[in-house]
Amino acid sequence: MSEVKIVEKGKIAVGTTMLFGFPDVGLVGVIAASHLIEEMNLTEVAYLDSVLLPPLIVLHEGLPHSPIRIFGNNNMLLAVSETPLAAEIIYPVMYALIDWGRSKNVKMMISLSGIPVQDRQDATELKVFAAGSSPEMLKVAESKGVEILGEGYMVGPQAVMLQQCAKLGLPALILLAQCFYNYPDPEAAAEVLKGLEKITGIKTDIAKLLEKGEEIRLKARDVMKRTQQEMSGMKKGQEYDIPLYVS
Amino acid sequence: MAIRRRRSVFDIVNEYFDSVEEWAEHFEESLMEKPSWNQKTCAFEPLRDVTVTPNEVLVTVDLPLTEENTVKVEPAGKNWLDITAKMKRKVKFEEFGITHHKGEFQTFHCQMRIPVQVQMDKLHFRCKKGLLEIHLPRKNT
Repeated sequence: MSEVKIVEKGKIAVGTTMLFGFPDVGLVGVIAASHLIEEMNLTEVAYLDSVLLPPLIVLHEGLPHSPIRIFGNNNMLLAVSETPLAAEIIYPVMYALIDWGRSKNVKMMISLSGIPVQDRQDATELKVFAAGSSPEMLKVAESKGVEILGEGYMVGPQAVMLQQCAKLGLPALILLAQCFYNYPDPEAAAEVLKGLEKITGIKTDIAKLLEKGEEIRLKARDVMKRTQQEMSGMKKGQEYDIPLYVS
Repeated sequence: MAIRRRRSVFDIVNEYFDSVEEWAEHFEESLMEKPSWNQKTCAFEPLRDVTVTPNEVLVTVDLPLTEENTVKVEPAGKNWLDITAKMKRKVKFEEFGITHHKGEFQTFHCQMRIPVQVQMDKLHFRCKKGLLEIHLPRKNT
């Protein structure tokens, strides 16, 4: 038996865009994903089943759910995790999700995430950066007005996603909004969704997200705390490092 | 030639106890799982962070839904801070979809250990968009 299985729950559209929202700095991806699910009325179409995951289920209306699920409609698929991933399971989980996405002929994979910025509380404007799986994908991002993250380190599920997509020749982007490192950041989630709109045309009501910002920050404290623990385990702080390139 | 002040035995003993206290705190955090709320005191425990710079210690605390003029930051001993803030409204467990716990919350409360010696009497703070920022000048050693 494979260590990671994707279990489908119904008909799944092919040839769509596949998005990823995983717990990371500022919980940008998870907050953005939750907003997309609510706004676009996405339904659960598949879930991830694996003995590698901690012995954990998420109860919704009394029924058990996997912490990693895929939501979708006719235009998009969205993989989201309600629990942070430990460093040792990131590779198998991301590989399984990417393989599954390939089997659905997704036209592009986009990971929504954040990049921490110092003095975030004083920032009046949050920038969104992109990294791509190929020079063509960088051109796509640039042509839509999204700045490229030129040099640096990337740590976490999105790093594995980008590397694997580059290896397999799958078009992929990571969108990273400047955010708090340790605190849930709905404003950054709103910015990353604006970036997503520029790239894909997927439009949501950002004002609604910002209105609920304080409630989201309150509700997301526990997930943020656990995410901090996993981030320190995977040396997330390396993203602050200045890279040394050996040519 | 620079003159080095000799550390007294009391400084050394104090430092030893500080390091034991710090170790115990890390140990407790890593092994003891506890909720981020307290039903008895009707308080949420906020997320917080400490940064030590050469001149000061910067503490940040995330206080969403807080009445900013109710934020209190008080020294609790020589290297502890006690932080409280009143929320704009009562928040019930039901709002999070939780029905197996009962209770409502109207405050944030936490105590924080400051990892280096600071001038507690010179602490100042500001709260902006629910993010509390506390500045504590370091003691000259």
